[in-house]
Amino acid sequence: MKKFITPIKISGGVIALAGVILLILAPFLGKNFFDLLWAVEPFTYLGGILLVVGLGVTAATYSGAERFIKNSDHGLNGQNGKHSWSETTLQYFQLFDHDLGRPLRRIIGKERELRAVMQANPGSSDAGVIELLDEIERQTPNFRLMMSNIQVLIQLESPASDDEVQLVEPNEVIRRIADRYTPVAAEAGKEITWWSEPSELGLVYANTNAIEHIVTNLVDNAVRYAGTHVEVKLTKNPTHFFVRVWDDGPGIGAQYVPHLFDRGWTPEVVRREEKSSSGLGLFIARNLARQSGGDLTVESDDSPDGEHHTTFLLSLPSNLTAELNGVR
Amino acid sequence: MARVNAGRNILVVDDESESDILRAVRRRLEEEGWTTTVIEPESGHSLGEEFEAATLWSIEQTLPDAVLLDVRFGQNRDDQFRGLSILGEIVERWPKLPILMFTQYAQGPDRETAVRDSLKWDAPVDFIDKLASPDEVVLRLRRLIGTAPESIPIGNHILVDVSARLVYVGEGEDRDPALEIQGMKFEIFRELAVTWYRSPGELVAFARLERYSEGEDPRASLRVRIREIKDAIGKAMNTRFGPSELIINIRDQGYRLVPPKS
Repeated sequence: MKKFITPIKISGGVIALAGVILLILAPFLGKNFFDLLWAVEPFTYLGGILLVVGLGVTAATYSGAERFIKNSDHGLNGQNGKHSWSETTLQYFQLFDHDLGRPLRRIIGKERELRAVMQANPGSSDAGVIELLDEIERQTPNFRLMMSNIQVLIQLESPASDDEVQLVEPNEVIRRIADRYTPVAAEAGKEITWWSEPSELGLVYANTNAIEHIVTNLVDNAVRYAGTHVEVKLTKNPTHFFVRVWDDGPGIGAQYVPHLFDRGWTPEVVRREEKSSSGLGLFIARNLARQSGGDLTVESDDSPDGEHHTTFLLSLPSNLTAELNGVR
Repeated sequence: MARVNAGRNILVVDDESESDILRAVRRRLEEEGWTTTVIEPESGHSLGEEFEAATLWSIEQTLPDAVLLDVRFGQNRDDQFRGLSILGEIVERWPKLPILMFTQYAQGPDRETAVRDSLKWDAPVDFIDKLASPDEVVLRLRRLIGTAPESIPIGNHILVDVSARLVYVGEGEDRDPALEIQGMKFEIFRELAVTWYRSPGELVAFARLERYSEGEDPRASLRVRIREIKDAIGKAMNTRFGPSELIINIRDQGYRLVPPKS
């Protein structure tokens, strides 16, 4: 829609100008064409109408464009999602993961110490204690993701947020995410495999944080719902690169697919069970993808045969230039 | 487990190096064969300055293989991002020294500033957050350091000796070389093992492995060699590896190593 605003604005100006010219020339044109004084009037009326219509069109495009740009550039789900956070609140947001991270690090550090002690003295291990330690370790990736999701949500809704573009090696970004989720998947008896075509994708200009954050959420989601396998595949064309995240989970019913990117939606909502995640991940992922000039789509098959799966496809522009995005 | 990084040293620079979370990471690094040196500054100056001076002095004395560096030091406002200033000093003096920033700020503007500055020198710098598992820290350090070790243990029963160009099968002292895995077959297995060591889920594309096969149909020749490698290791372990074990074909794109379950 944005691309139509300028031509409409120009057209309005041209119509208004034609109206002014017609008003000036009306007496002369009327005389030449009809040689009667009353015949001037139709041209005067016509000129006046054109002037009013032209000015109206131009004024409407100015106010409409401002409203459109506000909504489309910063809005979440088509609304203007920006808040005017106070300085104190913003400062707190910047430090909140540090504040929340400290007690979490203490708990997880203690859990790992205790596990090391128990491994050194196998006879002293109590099944209940081991179960507790396992549960703490299992929940750690959820805490990590939740903290970064909240950070990104704040950034998306902050007036000062900007999209920093850098030279990124997508293969290395996927390697980092695979490092993080391979042990999580293995713990649940699942496997992650990833590759790129071609095998070295090279460097692209993109927003590193956005890619890492979106794909982390997709892989987290895939590991959560996969049967045994998760696959991540990277490809590119001259203008975009693509990350496909596939899992062999039970799939999502066609009726639920439209809600998949809704804030707070998880499959457990349908079954009225306890949510296994906040339901923020996919909502943020799609908004971040679109804000970065790309998109996130999903395809799923929930048939009970062996073909059931879910595939998310992330596409992001790979040729964002340094000049366009303020990279020094 | 074999100590694959014997003689290699990681310098740990963190004002909470005795915290449980750091102890778990150091323990895992030592299991991997790295020795760890922890910076313990003498008291006197402000905490951040002391750490900075002690770190630079330590690197100068014994150049480590990598540095694990915290971003924040203490509660002093001037030291909030002292780690970034230490990073700048290290990158300027030792631009090839791998540095893993160990922080709660794995993403965000501080990382951007540091990455942009370090990119100016093309330095091997990466960020990881403190809730990362010790295994994740090890994988990140393996790639930052870059060079593969001389021997790579795959699970508890297989050891690839890169320098002797041999694959050993068995446990502990009872390991014997699988002599059938030589020449091109060894190169194929080494390629799979090195990729697995650096990034366990990464597939090795056919194109990279077909360099080690020959004939009119290199894909078929590669398939035969993979089967022979699996048979040789399986024979030494008194088992037979199926299509989804040890070396697996992924969607006809390439192969991936999966350590045998023991």
